[in-house]
Amino acid sequence: MCFFYEQHPMKTRASIRRMVYASLFGAATAAGAFIMIPLPPVPITLQTLILYLAAALLGGRLGALSQIIYLIIGIMGFPVFAGGKGGLGVLMGPTGGYLIGFVAGAYVLGKLLEIPKAPQLPWMICAMGVGTLIIYLFGVAQLILVARLSLSKAIMVGVLPFLIGDAVKVTAASLAALKIKKHIRLSP
Amino acid sequence: MYRMGQYLLRDSRVHQLDPRIKIVSVILMSILVLYGEPVTQSMITLFLMVLLPLSRTGIRPIQQALKPMLIFFAFLFFLHLFFTHGTPIPPFPSWRVTLTYEGLYTGAFTTWQFLLLVVTAAFLTMTTSPSELVGAIERLLRPFKRMGLPSDDVAMMISLALRFVPTLLEEIARTRDAQTARGARFNQGGILQRLRAISSLVLPVILSTLRRADALAVAMEARGYGGGDRTMLQELSLRRADYVAMTLMGLFAGAGFMTCTSLGQTLWPVFSQPS
Repeated sequence: MCFFYEQHPMKTRASIRRMVYASLFGAATAAGAFIMIPLPPVPITLQTLILYLAAALLGGRLGALSQIIYLIIGIMGFPVFAGGKGGLGVLMGPTGGYLIGFVAGAYVLGKLLEIPKAPQLPWMICAMGVGTLIIYLFGVAQLILVARLSLSKAIMVGVLPFLIGDAVKVTAASLAALKIKKHIRLSP
Repeated sequence: MYRMGQYLLRDSRVHQLDPRIKIVSVILMSILVLYGEPVTQSMITLFLMVLLPLSRTGIRPIQQALKPMLIFFAFLFFLHLFFTHGTPIPPFPSWRVTLTYEGLYTGAFTTWQFLLLVVTAAFLTMTTSPSELVGAIERLLRPFKRMGLPSDDVAMMISLALRFVPTLLEEIARTRDAQTARGARFNQGGILQRLRAISSLVLPVILSTLRRADALAVAMEARGYGGGDRTMLQELSLRRADYVAMTLMGLFAGAGFMTCTSLGQTLWPVFSQPS
């Protein structure tokens, strides 16, 4: 029994589909990291927006798996992290905490959205907000530990500049997820 | 257009090495670099300088790999320069901010550290093709198969994702152009307008990603994926050169770790107390 999906000796259609969904959303996260949209104070990338959608549409486990795939591609050295970075060094560097937080954030956010049968907009925004908080938590922790910043300084450089952008992304992702869920029933 | 990875086809000793050894070496070196010990960092710098002519890649691709990191390096350097307490540097007493010797040292040192990490990772991707890398990861994860980690599926997922990053990137760019032509504005207007513009970009992209995934799943099933055990086209095997490299790397890493621990570093640098 695997953590992410059940294993059958002969793979069923659903399990192949789950695999493909997770890897394509991992790829989409990587592609999203390249798309910059200018927004004061710091430009935003679509990376976490696609993370929210992956977790909301695929659920906690598959959402987290898609982010693990994204991280593995990055660790292998492909320049898929924000700003064209790649390699294990980025993950272990000062800003690597956010990337590790992606997996945890996607898992929790997906799980939260699995609780109600048909999540509405407020619940959607709350769950994505919690996911974002978890990403910040990991990010700030690593900033403190690796870059040796104090807590207040870490929050100043690692959370405050991104608040507006992330609020926009959470709202956009909630609206998009609701719209997509209305039209498409995902089978996994 | 954007190029995925920077694999350079050359006929060199480094290229011919078993990819598994290269991956493990990069991980070992990264850990060594993160110890933050000047002696080991000089050792690794020397090692990379030896590797450069051996791998026959030339200096240009390394410059290209470092280019996107320049802003990050500058940010890191100045962050430490301006925000470290210590003895102030005399020539600049009249400035609003005080620059300190400690700040200069930590800034330069941390930048050096991350420069090494980036160059090490760049060497791996320059000398190893993506399919070799995926094959090596599959082989390295195989021992975890008993714990329920499907290593062949993971490898398949990685290669799928790698294959689709450029495709999706192109798709996003095309959708962005299409929506701009229809009046969406991504870089002007209030927050509400941008929100709408972003949704108009993301919705079509996600829908087409899902559509692609469905088609791909059907295609894989039609070709019998998962119908039994998979075998590799080229099974990795260690040759004499690989054993030599492995021994050298082992000695190098061993020496590095010895230096670090004898200089009083804790086992894991991250948990050492911030000064």
